[in-house]
Amino acid sequence: MAKRITAEGVGACYGSLQAIEGVTLTIEPKSVTALIGPSGCGKSTFLRTLNRMHEVIPGATVTGKVLLDNEDLYGEGVDAVAVRRTIGMVFQRPNPFPTMSIFDNVAAGLRLNGVKNKQLLEEAVERSLRGANLWNEVKDRLGKPGAGMSGGQQQRLCIARAIAVEPQVLLMDEPCSALDPISTLAIEDLMTDLKDRYTIVIVTHNMQQAARVSDSTGFFTIDGPGQPGRLVEIDATEKIFSNPTEKRTEDYITGRFG
Amino acid sequence: MRDSYHERLAEVGDGLIEMSRLVGSAVSKATTALLDADLVAAESVIAADEQVNALYRQLDDVAVQLLARQQPVATDLRAIVTGLRMSSDLERVGDYAVHIAKVAKRKYPASVVPVELRAIILEMGQAATRIAVKAGTVIATRDLTLAAQLLSDDDTIDDLHADLFTRLLSENFDHGVEAAVDLALLGRYYERLADHAVSVSHAVTYLVTGEHSDPESYAADA
Repeated sequence: MAKRITAEGVGACYGSLQAIEGVTLTIEPKSVTALIGPSGCGKSTFLRTLNRMHEVIPGATVTGKVLLDNEDLYGEGVDAVAVRRTIGMVFQRPNPFPTMSIFDNVAAGLRLNGVKNKQLLEEAVERSLRGANLWNEVKDRLGKPGAGMSGGQQQRLCIARAIAVEPQVLLMDEPCSALDPISTLAIEDLMTDLKDRYTIVIVTHNMQQAARVSDSTGFFTIDGPGQPGRLVEIDATEKIFSNPTEKRTEDYITGRFG
Repeated sequence: MRDSYHERLAEVGDGLIEMSRLVGSAVSKATTALLDADLVAAESVIAADEQVNALYRQLDDVAVQLLARQQPVATDLRAIVTGLRMSSDLERVGDYAVHIAKVAKRKYPASVVPVELRAIILEMGQAATRIAVKAGTVIATRDLTLAAQLLSDDDTIDDLHADLFTRLLSENFDHGVEAAVDLALLGRYYERLADHAVSVSHAVTYLVTGEHSDPESYAADA
């Protein structure tokens, strides 16, 4: 199920502002890749180019290539909505549909895709909630609204919703920054489980989190205000946090800059 | 950014430099005590070692606090991990200086070293002092060329050590078994303390490059 992502010279603009430039990297399937860097370095912007979420902002444009295995996501005739179905996303703040029940939250994507069979939906909801490590906590209250859950549970509900449509890749934009430490560890454990089946890319401000959960880490930075963000280096996480190649990476992770 | 963290990290380096200064002077003084049968010098080496031990414990505490509270990474992490190893090596160097001083003290007012072996023990003492001091400079400067030089200084001591044994085992040695045992031990102390200084230079190489020196050189030191 999991696929490889290759970015080739990816740039992204908000109107005339160049947010990132020349990002080239490969994200291996069935692994967790963490993107770290100071605020404004473009790591979230880059993440959003990977499932064509960047272009939903008026005036936003993308240059370069993003390949999912061999398919160019920005190729002619590619349906952006289909891309987002294949490459799911989880956001910083848990955002379950507030008026929907837990069941309906998870089933929403499938229904949107036209699945109506009740048994199929029930199976998919249970499979997704189990996959998000939430099933045992909510199986007796699937009809209750998702908004009544704790923040950590809500975030796992959003992950269940994202994996219900069986994406190839899961993008997570600071998925734990609104969560308490225990919920954070639950999500981190979940990432480790999920990488058996998915390609996971996570943007995080928390370097210890990147060090704990990821297989590869990419470091983004900007040279100054108004300058575009760039990828400084991407390498095995153990290498980045023990002996990075680039001095700028070292300065950032040891707190001497940024 | 993280000023207090970097200050505490600097404490680890400063502590190591201070330790190396103390043990360098201990080795030099212990050698004087030995060759001059100087009781005062011997006792001062023994007493001063407490200061080295205190620094060793203090450095352990700082390192544990930094690991627990700051999650150091990259060069910072290597500075702490190698710092722990170096402080333990330097503490051992100090202990060997104490062993040497204790031999001198035990034999006082007699001299342990027969006249014909004074030159070789003096040479070992000087080479050991030089290597201990150099280890301190390597810590302070992180100079890898100097770190490499330490290895050849160590070869000098190993040669002198072998030479000493040959002299002790020769038919001409007529100072008795007890003197031979003392001298064999002294030779061993110098040889061991130099190896600990070499281990410090390996640690600095790892700290700077993130890569271990030639594993064979470790094996040879063991």
